[in-house]
Amino acid sequence: MLAQGLELLIDGLARGVILSLFGLGITLVFGLGEILNLLLGVFAVVAVIACSLLLGAVPGLAIAGLLAVAFVALFALVLDRTVISLVYREEGEDRILLGIFVTLGLSLFFEGLLFIYYPGSVFLDVGVPSMTVAGASLTGSSIAVIAAAAVLFGLIYYFFNYTYLGIGTRTVIQDETGAVLCGIPPRRVQAIVFVLSAAIAGVAGVFYALEAEVTPASSFTLTSFAIMVSIVGGVDSISGTVAAGIVLGIIMTVAGSLFGSYLATVTLFAAAIAVLIYKPEQIS
Amino acid sequence: MNANNPLSSLRGQLPVIAVFAALLLVPPLFFDPSTTYLSRRFITVMIFAIFAMALNIIFGETDQLILYMGGIAALGTYTTVLTAQYFEISPWLTLFVGAFVSGVFGALVCYVAARRQFTVIVLAIVTFAFQMIIMEVIVGLRDITGGTTGIPFRDLDLPAVESALGIGAFALQFYVLVGIFAAVFALYMWLTNSKYGLAFAAIRQDEFAARATGIDAIRLKVFAGFLSTFIIGFVGPFYAQTTGIVIPGLFSFNGVDVLVLIILVLGGLRSRFGPLVGAAIVIYLDNLLSQFGQWRTVTFGLLLTILFIYFQDGILPMAQSMYEERGIRDRLAGLRSGE
Repeated sequence: MLAQGLELLIDGLARGVILSLFGLGITLVFGLGEILNLLLGVFAVVAVIACSLLLGAVPGLAIAGLLAVAFVALFALVLDRTVISLVYREEGEDRILLGIFVTLGLSLFFEGLLFIYYPGSVFLDVGVPSMTVAGASLTGSSIAVIAAAAVLFGLIYYFFNYTYLGIGTRTVIQDETGAVLCGIPPRRVQAIVFVLSAAIAGVAGVFYALEAEVTPASSFTLTSFAIMVSIVGGVDSISGTVAAGIVLGIIMTVAGSLFGSYLATVTLFAAAIAVLIYKPEQIS
Repeated sequence: MNANNPLSSLRGQLPVIAVFAALLLVPPLFFDPSTTYLSRRFITVMIFAIFAMALNIIFGETDQLILYMGGIAALGTYTTVLTAQYFEISPWLTLFVGAFVSGVFGALVCYVAARRQFTVIVLAIVTFAFQMIIMEVIVGLRDITGGTTGIPFRDLDLPAVESALGIGAFALQFYVLVGIFAAVFALYMWLTNSKYGLAFAAIRQDEFAARATGIDAIRLKVFAGFLSTFIIGFVGPFYAQTTGIVIPGLFSFNGVDVLVLIILVLGGLRSRFGPLVGAAIVIYLDNLLSQFGQWRTVTFGLLLTILFIYFQDGILPMAQSMYEERGIRDRLAGLRSGE
């Protein structure tokens, strides 16, 4: 019983940190520039496919993963400089609506292309064997994901609290006009954070592929999960999103093992609806 | 009251008459009993035109963006089909039960949204979450819904009427849908020309000012929400009838909501015939691209992006304003050369 609980907790925690990372991808871009980035899942799937292609050419999953994430960051930079810039020209509610539809259109566009050129499913094998702790058999991939995510969260925390760019980003999230007055150019910060969020989604995608199979259709699911986590976490709160992801990941895993997998997904969406009904003013 | 009034109002109705006459002529001209393919496409155009008109009422008129049209259509369809099976009665009767359940659900969501003062984005996300939940529940409750294998469904036909009129099943279904389209069209015309239209416009422009003048914004939003979701839930079973099977995949976000959004924006928000024109263009494109597999998704994604960046006001209204500008220019030229 206890052993089974520990197994669930570790799997839930692994799922939770992955959800946290996806949620962060939404939170950063929406909090900063009010664009609900529906392309996030595409970034994740592109990273996974790139990683699986690179695995044949470079030694080791870590190097392939890093290169894939770098590729996704470049891809995001190109998009930001071209299409996303057109969205940033609008303001207020117009920008939010345009952002939703443009990124929705782009996600369909890229999802279709991925289906055409890489229709198969990808599963990455981390090569960490299962461990037995106190009678519980813990999945190797879950432990690897939790360890790697812990390092990543540390880096993200450092970035937002100790680097000039990170503090500048938080300034723009709090008050765009105020940031301009302090000499921080919002558009440049927005571009950097858009690329950063794509990179985070790329990492999260690679982590996700260690636990489950990824197909082009996953991009839609992952985007929707990311939005829900970000909403439960408060949309513009970085720490809130991380906490929400971890809690939801554990709840989803437990609910899934107790009541069947479809209820796990329902739990996530229902939680987001409940939070929005309770606090609708968080997105305005 | 002057004598010109009836005549000029008839002139104003001329496009309406022409469009409906053209619609009535579609089956004799294009429906071939040997191939059902083309007839099905025309039926799909009508279904999506009605979906888009429903979205036009709730989104175009009251600025409430809903992204669970597929889910609502599924709710209406599954309610219709399952109650018909359970009570062993005709789906023509349970159709109204399905539509009513959809309408009440839609009204409830709009009520909570209006009460809690959701912005357009919050409502969009909440309804999207409901779309995902509805899809998951349908797949999950496979004992009742048949899961992804679905339920065979072809009972929305009227063999007696077909043989009495001497027309095929598809032609009859098309006429039934033209009838529903006409009813929704009339409802929309009545809405926009009545006090409701004015109140909708007031809410759209400034909700607080509208409330200050005594407009019950919550009631109106709920009313619009009920109408739209009732219509979508009503048409859902006809949508399932075209494929002969009720499966969750039919009602997916990409399969319904994305298409309806493209149709509505292409045709133009708050345009009378926009939904029909948009549906004709989109279903034609869909048909053209279906042989290229996933290139269809690529094209629709591109279309959605370009439409929203450059043609937010819709193709039809843009063409109209271009035509009108040219008309005025011609008249000016005529004046100058004549005098």
